[in-house]
Amino acid sequence: MGDTPGSRIGLMRSVYLLICTFLTFLSLLPLETAPRNWAGPDLILALSCAWVLRRPEFVPAPLIALVFLLTGLLFQMPPGLWAALVVIGTQTLRARAPGLRDLTFAAEWVTVAITLLLMTLANQVVLAVLLVDRPALTLNLMQVFMTLAAYPVVVIASQFLLGVRKHAPGDLDTLASRR
Amino acid sequence: MANERNHSSDYTGPLKRLLAGVLVLCLVGLFLVWRIDSPRVERFRAQVVDRVIPNFEWAMAPVTGTINIIRDFQSYQRIYQQNQELRRELQQMKAWKEAALQLEQENARLLDLNNVQLDPRLTFITGVVMADSGSPFRQSVLINVGTRDGIVDGWAAMDGLGLVGRTSGVGERTARVVLLTDTSSRIPVTIQPSGQKALVVGDNTAAPPVDFIEDADQLRAGDRVLTSGDGGVFPPGLAIGQIAKDPGGRVRVRLAADYERLEFLRVLRNYGHRAITDPGHLITSDPIGAEAETLSETTSEASDG
Repeated sequence: MGDTPGSRIGLMRSVYLLICTFLTFLSLLPLETAPRNWAGPDLILALSCAWVLRRPEFVPAPLIALVFLLTGLLFQMPPGLWAALVVIGTQTLRARAPGLRDLTFAAEWVTVAITLLLMTLANQVVLAVLLVDRPALTLNLMQVFMTLAAYPVVVIASQFLLGVRKHAPGDLDTLASRR
Repeated sequence: MANERNHSSDYTGPLKRLLAGVLVLCLVGLFLVWRIDSPRVERFRAQVVDRVIPNFEWAMAPVTGTINIIRDFQSYQRIYQQNQELRRELQQMKAWKEAALQLEQENARLLDLNNVQLDPRLTFITGVVMADSGSPFRQSVLINVGTRDGIVDGWAAMDGLGLVGRTSGVGERTARVVLLTDTSSRIPVTIQPSGQKALVVGDNTAAPPVDFIEDADQLRAGDRVLTSGDGGVFPPGLAIGQIAKDPGGRVRVRLAADYERLEFLRVLRNYGHRAITDPGHLITSDPIGAEAETLSETTSEASDG
């Protein structure tokens, strides 16, 4: 790629926003208005985790906060809480990312799984303590597991379609991101 | 190695970490504000939805249409069976049509005999479903009518067959309809013919359970469930569905509205009933009528003060 690292970061940030808008749009389509007893994966969350572990500079915390606050508002969730938990979760992943770089994918997957489970449980506990209507626990856990099942697919797709790989020694934009 | 790791975590510098902390605090603050003063934040949410969703509208209708066509295409595979089924159903429907026509005539005759006036203010606005709630945990749809069409929070929304939900969260161009299946939905109902009052409680399943029944033994599967109008939110007598019992013995409502395909919704204008607040006055003959009037004025003043 011939462009400078700085413009590539800007480009990938807008690609992230674009993908999130598209996924939101898909889930808002009024295809199924009858209640379902299954929950699909939260692809936006999987994407955010995958990217934050590969190229943290593409998904800065304010961007993640904005995306999850807006989707929370649109999806009728209690506003702010889930977004805050996602920001905390992705920040911990961000801090772990350098350590996970040399390990296998399985280790990364387990880390993501633990983070997502803790986030979901924290969400349930806070809602229960503040006496807010909670999403059904089984459905919520099912969503977490579906997200985890979709995670490798999201990783492969973002590696091969969008070129979001882990930093390798000697990468040009690795050096640039340290500015 | 370890040294290099520490080094490469430089780009999550202290400033960025501080920024993330401030962000988290802001978001948690928003959540707490929502918990304390929910109506204000919900109004904000309605405005955000009102801003965002109509921008998607140009794409939503064609994409939904295309996906539905693809789904319908699968049913072409067994088109012959379907044709047979439809013919059989048509036969049955002819019989029903005959019965309905007779009933309609009878009903018209009876209405005429009784000189019934239907409430002229009970009219409706029809909206198109634009989006659903987008998450498996909430059951609501967004329709393309809002305050500019005179929609108000709490009005009943029906499809052609039965009650679907109530409006909750109205923007200028959009309104959200919380479905009967949502976990926050509670509707006071009457069950006919036994005439018992109960609540239909949404629990995120296709057939919401009925709670607070006085005597469950009087219920039969197939009893009709209508809104009772208690609480003054809905007009009484809107069809909701039929009683059914699930294998666990719990009483549920099989909803009359077609929840699989909600496309057009009618929002009923409901301006509430005029409440009777004072006991009737004494009716007197003419000579002391003026005196009675002054008397009633003084009593009303007294009650004001």
